[in-house]
Amino acid sequence: MNEIEKKYSAIDASCRLPLLVLFGVASLWLVIGLALEIIASLAFHKPDLFAGCPFLTYGRVLPAANNAILYGFAMPAALGVVLWIFARLSESELLLPLVPIVAANIWFLAVLIGVVGILIGDSTGFTWLEFPRSGSILLFAAFLLIAISAMATFGARRERVLKPPHWFLLAALFWFPWIYSSANLFLIAWPVRGVAQAVIGWWYSNNLIYVWLALVGLGVAFYLLPKIAGRPLQSQYFALFGFWTFVLFAPWCGIPQGAPVPSWLPTASTVAAFLMAVPLIAIAIVFVNTIRGVNIECKGGPYCYAKFAMAIFILNEAVMLIATGCPHCNAVVGMTWFMPAQVYLQIFGFFAIVICGAAYESLPGVMGFELPFRSFVRFQHWCFIVGSVLVALLLAICGIEQGLKMQNPEIHWHDITAGTLNYLKFSTLGLCLLLLGSLMFAANIFAATSTWLTRQAKAVAASLTESFEAEEVKS
Amino acid sequence: MKTGFRIFLGTLFVLGLSWCGFVLGPVLQLGTQGQAAVLNSSDIYPNQRPGAATLGLQVYRANGCAACHTTQIGQDGVVCDVVLTGAGSDPAAVSNLISSLKLTGLSKDEADAVSGQITAAGGKSETHIVPVGPDISRGWGMRHSVAEDFLWDNPVQLGSIRVGPDLANVGMRYPLDWQLLHLYAPQSQVKDSMMPPFRYLFKVQKIGATPSPDALQLPEGFGPPAGYEVVPTEDANNLAAYLVSLRADVSLYDAPFTTASAPSTGTHK
Amino acid sequence: MSDDLKNSSQTPEGQKSPTAPVWIFALTLLLLFIGGVYFDRHSGWFDAQVYAPYQSSDELASYQPIAGAGAVLLEGKRTYEATCASCHGADGLGKPGQYPPLAGSEWVNASSFKRVEEIPQLGISGEIHVAGQDWNSQMLPMGAALSDADLAAVLTYIRHSWGNNGSEVDASDIKAMRALVAGHPALSGEAGLKAIKE
Repeated sequence: MNEIEKKYSAIDASCRLPLLVLFGVASLWLVIGLALEIIASLAFHKPDLFAGCPFLTYGRVLPAANNAILYGFAMPAALGVVLWIFARLSESELLLPLVPIVAANIWFLAVLIGVVGILIGDSTGFTWLEFPRSGSILLFAAFLLIAISAMATFGARRERVLKPPHWFLLAALFWFPWIYSSANLFLIAWPVRGVAQAVIGWWYSNNLIYVWLALVGLGVAFYLLPKIAGRPLQSQYFALFGFWTFVLFAPWCGIPQGAPVPSWLPTASTVAAFLMAVPLIAIAIVFVNTIRGVNIECKGGPYCYAKFAMAIFILNEAVMLIATGCPHCNAVVGMTWFMPAQVYLQIFGFFAIVICGAAYESLPGVMGFELPFRSFVRFQHWCFIVGSVLVALLLAICGIEQGLKMQNPEIHWHDITAGTLNYLKFSTLGLCLLLLGSLMFAANIFAATSTWLTRQAKAVAASLTESFEAEEVKS
Repeated sequence: MKTGFRIFLGTLFVLGLSWCGFVLGPVLQLGTQGQAAVLNSSDIYPNQRPGAATLGLQVYRANGCAACHTTQIGQDGVVCDVVLTGAGSDPAAVSNLISSLKLTGLSKDEADAVSGQITAAGGKSETHIVPVGPDISRGWGMRHSVAEDFLWDNPVQLGSIRVGPDLANVGMRYPLDWQLLHLYAPQSQVKDSMMPPFRYLFKVQKIGATPSPDALQLPEGFGPPAGYEVVPTEDANNLAAYLVSLRADVSLYDAPFTTASAPSTGTHK
Repeated sequence: MSDDLKNSSQTPEGQKSPTAPVWIFALTLLLLFIGGVYFDRHSGWFDAQVYAPYQSSDELASYQPIAGAGAVLLEGKRTYEATCASCHGADGLGKPGQYPPLAGSEWVNASSFKRVEEIPQLGISGEIHVAGQDWNSQMLPMGAALSDADLAAVLTYIRHSWGNNGSEVDASDIKAMRALVAGHPALSGEAGLKAIKE
């Protein structure tokens, strides 16, 4: 191995334990979260399936599933990848490696307390913020700990000029503590009066799903695509312009049309959603130019993952432009299944795919050996793509149909709900595909962990035997 | 972009801007709101919910009712109806005038013009303000929801998706008994409802010496086995009280409508 | 691996040095302008009382319902049910032997309201003949605590309900009456009523 390869091999090795723990937590909660999503969607097949059981009623299982996927899978996986990317970009080993390991355990506990809390009825009642107080405090602390390690590694860089992934990922590290603490302080610790709670709730949800996940996803994609394609990120001025316009306009989206708040709030959101055309165009230009003319065979590997995820991101942003930037469209689909469809597309179609791609890209180097189930990578890719597109498409069409019917008061409400049922039942199939993919991801992570542990155990046993034999020889 | 510090400053600025706009702004504007005066009346709105209803809001939150139901309705627009209140000294002339005019679904300027014409002919008229929109036509309320409707609620459960119908004015549509029956067995009250039965909010107990006065009168096929009765728990009673307290049928400055106009019967459509 | 060098911001050899993309700045400014126009038209300029579908404070002010006969009747009904119905009944029929009816009462239906408006203000006790029956009870001044508008609304309501056919009573009439009878004692039966000039 030449010098450079040795250096990066050492960098990767320093990330090994933190990444294993973080990815382990993430893959476990992904499986649990998707299983809970399927339980929730069973309510549309047979409403009285869990009629006597308060822990499995739809109103509790759905928030539990959503929170498990977002805080249990998306965030730890994201932070693991961020640590790895920062280490590599800094050309320095991961600093304070023990901190993320401890933090990952605290994170697991936080999500466990949170999910169980929701299921027993202690949900706070705010979308994406349902974890009871103890869970959210632990989660916040764990995030800060990991951010400390990430910032320390970032500070150790030799090249002072920042690269595009740095912009997005640094912004993300700063973003989450602010929005999470604000939302928890104003809604749960010292609740504000009346409908101001709803506004802050919408601000938080939008900033979490459509800003934070996007910042991390874009940062990771803008690292992966050039790395695998073997060329730098193209159109860097567009990348810079896209970054700044994105963080300027995106936080203002999120207030739905027709909300019971003074009209300057939904109007501000409509204008911001409309202005999102600018960062969308900029980011699309960067993406297209970076992959254009690159001849790499995909074969369902990390490059495929990154490309598909970026395409879905651009598509979802374009749909958001129409569905939230156009007030008439928002009035029609605003309270229908269309909005969850967009959330699913963002989380599974874009974020999960790009972060799993990054995980697969990092693991062989980090572990020092190939993935235990290499064929699963491609299989998972297809499961996630088909699953997420199926769920999103079905729910989107369902939502549009539902919205158009709701505009017509002659149509009986009963007919409207009956019309949504088939879409909801078929979407369970998409969720099952996602669960299958997540099981494959978990299988790889856990098999890699156990392989590493066995090797460690063998190495320890070998060194013990050696020293024993050496003593024997002496005596 | 050269340094991490510039990114920090820039991110601080943009996030701070949106924080000021969507957190600080609403807290100062809406979070300091008080009760509002009801139009053409000496009442103020809203009154605090009765105790059982306030507890019921927590049951609503704990069971995630907001996952399927919204409690906010919108309004597409507002029209004026001109109503004749006095025929004056020349009823025939006024009646002739009326038959040639459009009196409903007018804009404010058109309504003022028509009013002027009727007054000129010697009659007396009144302009009624009528909110319009699909939510209102469906009987879900009389005017769009406003901030005052949620003044006392903590946490505010607006909901974001209408898997089930909107509940902003459900207290105007269904009485307490119906709510309890519907919670225990939704399909008994609404055919082919896809709402899950909330049986765990109720107790099935053996009928004692006399049947309990709180026992639910369930229709055929939904009742408990013979010799047993279904009795609501405290949670069920509180939740039903909360649902019955959900009504926003007062006219306010920011959601005006003429109260004397016959409200829609609001049957569950 | 050396691929991380590919993440550098240096331009590869042979490419033109990149120029700042002016057209996207122009697009941003155009969209900001359009957004600004939309905000101006629909936001109500941060007014806390302007909600969709109203687009400005002026528009909201123009759509405020003026207190018409309908509103007065509804308000009068509410006040009647809170203050008077416990004795005179929600149906205006009173209670036999105790409280006289208001439905069909010649005092309520009189073309001038000058007599009936003093009854809730001052109270009345003693003999009175109402709708073909003799009554001799005592009524406290139940309307003295109501505002001018509320008392006017109640009187308008009872003069328009249950088949009664009297004229409206205005808040200004009540105000004038109150100034006139300030400090007077309760009316003494029919004689007291007949002493009031119509």
